Amino acid sequence: MNRYLDLSIPEIHELFVNHKITPVDLVEECYHRIEENSDLNCFITLNKSEALEYAKKLGEEKVEEDNLLWGIPIAIKDNISTKNIRTTCASRMLENYVPIYDATVVEKIKSKKMIIIGKTNMDEFAMGSTSRTSYFGAPKNPIDKTKITGGSSGGSAACIAGALTPLALGTDTGGSIRQPASYTGIVGMKPTYGRVSRYGLIAFASSLDQIGPMTRNVYENALLLNEIVGKDKKDLTSRECEREDFTRFIGKDIHGMKIAIPNYFVSNIVSNEIIQKLDHVVEILKSNGAEVDYIDMKYLDQAVTLYQIIAMGEASSNLARFDGVKFGYRSSQSDSIEEMYANTRCEGFGSEVKRRIMVGSYLLSGENAKIYYDKALAIRNAMKEEFDRVFQEYDFILGPTTTTVAYNLDESLDDPRKSFMDDVLVIPVNMAGLPGLNIPMGENDDHMPIGLHIIGNRLEEARMYQIASFLENKLK
Amino acid sequence: MDKLTKEEVLHVAHLARIKVEDSEIEKYQIELKQLLDDVDQIKDIVVESQELLVTPVEHETILRNDSDTREVEFNMIKKNVPATNGNFVEVPVMVNE
Repeated sequence: MNRYLDLSIPEIHELFVNHKITPVDLVEECYHRIEENSDLNCFITLNKSEALEYAKKLGEEKVEEDNLLWGIPIAIKDNISTKNIRTTCASRMLENYVPIYDATVVEKIKSKKMIIIGKTNMDEFAMGSTSRTSYFGAPKNPIDKTKITGGSSGGSAACIAGALTPLALGTDTGGSIRQPASYTGIVGMKPTYGRVSRYGLIAFASSLDQIGPMTRNVYENALLLNEIVGKDKKDLTSRECEREDFTRFIGKDIHGMKIAIPNYFVSNIVSNEIIQKLDHVVEILKSNGAEVDYIDMKYLDQAVTLYQIIAMGEASSNLARFDGVKFGYRSSQSDSIEEMYANTRCEGFGSEVKRRIMVGSYLLSGENAKIYYDKALAIRNAMKEEFDRVFQEYDFILGPTTTTVAYNLDESLDDPRKSFMDDVLVIPVNMAGLPGLNIPMGENDDHMPIGLHIIGNRLEEARMYQIASFLENKLK
Repeated sequence: MDKLTKEEVLHVAHLARIKVEDSEIEKYQIELKQLLDDVDQIKDIVVESQELLVTPVEHETILRNDSDTREVEFNMIKKNVPATNGNFVEVPVMVNE
């Protein structure tokens, strides 16, 4: 079998332009690799016959020379709606659900002639930090198959780390792109809230959810982000931004950049092997003319509590639509409509999802809405203002993405709090609507990847790619 | 271990419209209590401003006209409907006589 998929996207593009290979060659190689690595369980649904047919059709067309993503295979997380391709959210509830329309990001992917290979595994309704809550079984970490991929975009992360496709889309509500990217050693960007339309993304917590690119390197991440951003009249929370090339600062140096590291991000909640890698990054930054300060930031240690209230509250409301009436699973055991709702939701949802919906419903009921939800929103506002204050003085905030490396797949799922604590360092970014990027910064003695988390001010993705690419080169 | 009462679990499950099997009640008594204890910590956090941040959206969201934006044929959505009767979605009895 050929190994074209190991080439960079510009190299593949060159081969297309010079008629050395066709999209069919790449797509066949993808499916060959997916079949050879089926134990990774990265995909819930493959789009094989349609993808091959489309690749053949593309091969008969003229290569778009100014479109680097022409004919490039991509994997899509299974909570993003794809017309005529089953979209399950890794839940029994949507096991047989086939959308009749494309999410806006999927329309954009198609308009740039990328080829959709399949739908990736994830935590059920994106609720979890290990992808083990999937109704279809957990994906495995390609670096060590006894370890978790992280989550919730675990299938997309493993797909990139296992070199099954060059590009993937994930979604991030409280770290679900960046944390699995860290655990599998890839690049994952959660863009500024509103950068990417959420139309067609099956909602978990609407004020936190954002779609973003997961890739092998920083440059290709920026390339994919270029094509998925933009105001969308179907998503009123999407924002009007001038068209920009997110790769434009890549290759420039970092002299004069001001970087803050919150003391909480290097406190005793983070393992020593990770702190050591971060120390090395700080040395690189300083020796290349950047200024690095350790600072205090309020409220960071409260992020998990805030997240629990806001995310579970919003989820309980968003997931009310799964009632067995118009689509999805319906229990056959009911004599009345009330019974049908309760039975359908009991049988259709897994235990993590049920737990979160129950707590969320309770938190929003009656007086509780004031006691919990309003208080959480007040702290959320204070947290955002705290970030604003730091960004008046600094260009970026850095820290580790996770407190440990990926742990064992068979570690107990019994503690309902564990899945929240895995995301303790990445949740604040969603609260404030900021962009956050994971890049690999090394590995531990067992070769498990360690991730660096770069937080930028709103709409500063291009500058984040600049520092990320600089560090990526220095850390090679 | 500290846990919710059976009645509290059933109350929360009813709010969420999720049936809880008898065999699951004890599990939920413990797990829901752990999560509710976690979120209770919010009461101790001191915050100066009472301004709420509901969404990070900074721009004005403009309401669209209250009119149809597109039409979808029932035949298209029918394949995802769990039970149909002709051109209707079929559900169990909603009104008791």
